[in-house]
Amino acid sequence: MDLKILGMNVLVALSQLVLFLLVAPLVTGWARRVKAFMQNRRGPSLWQPYFNLTKQLRKEVVVSENTSWIFRFTPYIVFTATLAIGLLIPIYTSFVPLGFIGDVIAIIYLLALARFFMALAGLDAASAFGGLGSSREMSLAAIIEPAMILAIFTVAVTAGSTSLSTIAEKMSDKLNGWDLLAPSHLFAFIGLFIVALAETGRIPVDNPATHLELTMIHEAMILEYSGRYLALIEWAASMKLLLFLTLLANIFFPWGIAASEQPTFDGVALGLGIYLLKILILTTLVAFVECTTAKLRLFRVPDLLTVSFVLSLIALVLYFILGGGASHALL
Amino acid sequence: MVVSQTDAVMAELRHQFGGHIAELKAQHNEIYCDLNAQNLDWLPKVCTYVHLHWHASFVCAWATDEREQFKTFRLNYIFSIDAQDLFVIVRAPVSPEQHQFASVAAHMISANWAEREIHDTFGLKPLGHPNLKRLWAQPDWPPNAFAMRKDFSLQSHVPRVEGVFEFRQVEGEGVFEIPVGPVHAGIIEPGHFRFSVAGEPIINLQIQLYYTHKGTEKLCEGLSAEKALHVSERISGDSTFAHSTAFCHAIERLAGVEIPGRAQFLRMLFLELERIYNHLSDIGMIVNDVSFLVGYAHAMRLREDVMKLNEKLTGSRLLRGLNTLGGVRRDLPETVYSEVRDTLQNVRRELEELAELLWSSASVMDRLETTGVLTEKTTKDIGIVGIAARASGLDRDCRRDHPHLRYRQIDFKVPVYTTGDVYARTRVRVDEVFESILIIDQILSQISAGPIRVLIEKIPANAHALGYTEGWRGPIVQTIQTDNEGKIFRYKIDEPSFHNWPALIFAVQGNIVPDFPLINKSFNLSYSGNDR
Repeated sequence: MDLKILGMNVLVALSQLVLFLLVAPLVTGWARRVKAFMQNRRGPSLWQPYFNLTKQLRKEVVVSENTSWIFRFTPYIVFTATLAIGLLIPIYTSFVPLGFIGDVIAIIYLLALARFFMALAGLDAASAFGGLGSSREMSLAAIIEPAMILAIFTVAVTAGSTSLSTIAEKMSDKLNGWDLLAPSHLFAFIGLFIVALAETGRIPVDNPATHLELTMIHEAMILEYSGRYLALIEWAASMKLLLFLTLLANIFFPWGIAASEQPTFDGVALGLGIYLLKILILTTLVAFVECTTAKLRLFRVPDLLTVSFVLSLIALVLYFILGGGASHALL
Repeated sequence: MVVSQTDAVMAELRHQFGGHIAELKAQHNEIYCDLNAQNLDWLPKVCTYVHLHWHASFVCAWATDEREQFKTFRLNYIFSIDAQDLFVIVRAPVSPEQHQFASVAAHMISANWAEREIHDTFGLKPLGHPNLKRLWAQPDWPPNAFAMRKDFSLQSHVPRVEGVFEFRQVEGEGVFEIPVGPVHAGIIEPGHFRFSVAGEPIINLQIQLYYTHKGTEKLCEGLSAEKALHVSERISGDSTFAHSTAFCHAIERLAGVEIPGRAQFLRMLFLELERIYNHLSDIGMIVNDVSFLVGYAHAMRLREDVMKLNEKLTGSRLLRGLNTLGGVRRDLPETVYSEVRDTLQNVRRELEELAELLWSSASVMDRLETTGVLTEKTTKDIGIVGIAARASGLDRDCRRDHPHLRYRQIDFKVPVYTTGDVYARTRVRVDEVFESILIIDQILSQISAGPIRVLIEKIPANAHALGYTEGWRGPIVQTIQTDNEGKIFRYKIDEPSFHNWPALIFAVQGNIVPDFPLINKSFNLSYSGNDR
């Protein structure tokens, strides 16, 4: 790769990171807007998440005197871990800035790192609700993680690599990309979609808008946070939502993504436009699911996640039975 | 017919307990049975006999401080014989020297809370009571201050004392306590809940209420009925009209006044409107607690339609300031009838659609069914009333069992379900909204022009009477006793919430913590009405 292309790529990567940071609250705002629309409400402004963040960043931080350093460090760890994942995934070009330090497995571990500290922080203030949230989060995580790994691996074996950059490039290849698409992708997509709902605390699993502490999972862990800590955690939660939507978009429908081999201005602009459109559609889909189902009874959530796990498993098995690629399956 | 039934009950009482009864008299559909002073032990016997022999349900119990007039405290236990539209009030004096009486709750657990309240507020000790912990009094309330005694001034400053909540501890490996409240996250009233959990399943729940005690009963003592009426509207905001109706009913029976037909129909209309808007709100809140957002939005929209109708008809969304002694304050022009009908037909149509949407949604039904089951036996034993009782198989409705106003002329069904879960309680509400709309339809076709109020010239002195109605939550019974000047001597408010709070303890057993808010909402009890 010559230096010019590398320079261009670095520039694009940086813009991707900035976009990832700045667009994330908008995605949360859009999800809320769609939900409000489906409930016959007008809903808050699309920019409300930004207003909330700026307000919280200005506000004083109140920290319980019973907490330890974990409580104060966690918001930064969660925020940076999520942001680091933003550098590990292809967004609108298939170039992954930190691709040389890790692939999809690193993403899963970074998510686990954030989760681990979040759960510790939930316990740290020794409030009853935080403990409830942490215990629920960890028991669900035990099923979420394998389901997620399996779903992504299905695609990885098809593309022959665990590097998301390679997966996106191979799948979006105009000549052979369609051949890689296999029935197993459908199962893996549903599996990963369920994982996304669970990971981002969306309705059949958790309710991001509830005030009922006894029913919370994610919100219960952050009940004690305020001010800039809360802003960082909420911002990270928005980024996590965008992250999962990006994964769904770029692993399963990477068409239109700008290739990193010879990035052109037109290609990048087109990639950006198509990317935003895909995120818009996926966010609407998430909001639609949130409005049409009730929250599951907590003990039924593992059932749902097991479905996700089994779907991913079927996807993987299907790949080995039918072989990869639509053309193989059809023959 | 009623007279002969009254006589039969009185004859039976005299036959069984003749020697222990000082006085037996009837007034309206109330039978007062005064026991002799020396035979205190007979109180539980008479009460359990009435309870078992006529299948009479326990309504409420309270004490009065009559030391100035008769040198005694007096206990009152009300029972309702639903099948015969009768109330039996068993009364017994308690000597001011001994401060104790034989507990009825020892034989009939439904009197548990009532006797604890008597113990806290009058300092009369129910001997043999199964669980004589503090109920009304918070731990920092001094043990020798008895707020409802006449010599306790409303102005008195009570010193706070050190005290701890008595909560039953559950011990064992992996058992944790979760304290919730008294301040909650939503815009709701205060109450403290202490869960003992093993993981998620709830082993034990204890409830500490009375954070919103306003001394309503004490506050009304010495007031004229006109003034107390305004207090009665504020016992529980969501039951404004039902409470003030019960109050007016009691005063009107006291004065022996029959209110005009038009006023009776108007009161029924407002009672049903109150029921409809509260039920719609509850349906919405239950659905919100399972996070079914679309259903919630629709239910709340329908509720708003009904509240707007309230405002248009009466000037008050909460139906405040409508009741007055002897009738209602505000008449409706005939021109609004069609609007009432149209609005309610629309509510009916949309609620049918909403109910269809809910019952056909697997995810909603999975949350509602088998959650928070209250068995029929528990319901009977602890004396659960209202919606919760009808959802657990008890066929009771004050509008039908003790017909007041013009309910006798109206044809309506009382929905009863037997599963006792959140689903049944939601179903009862949905069905009752449909019934209420049919009732209002009949009211509008039967109501005729006429006066809406009679003047009550004089309220008799030293008299007492019951007033009752079926509020949306359950039966509301109020008792008023007047003093020498016809002012209020004792005002006893019986709120359905007071009976139903213990139900929550039984309904959550074996359920998981995140289902508690849903179960709680399916009862939707009033803190304010309970604490008074």
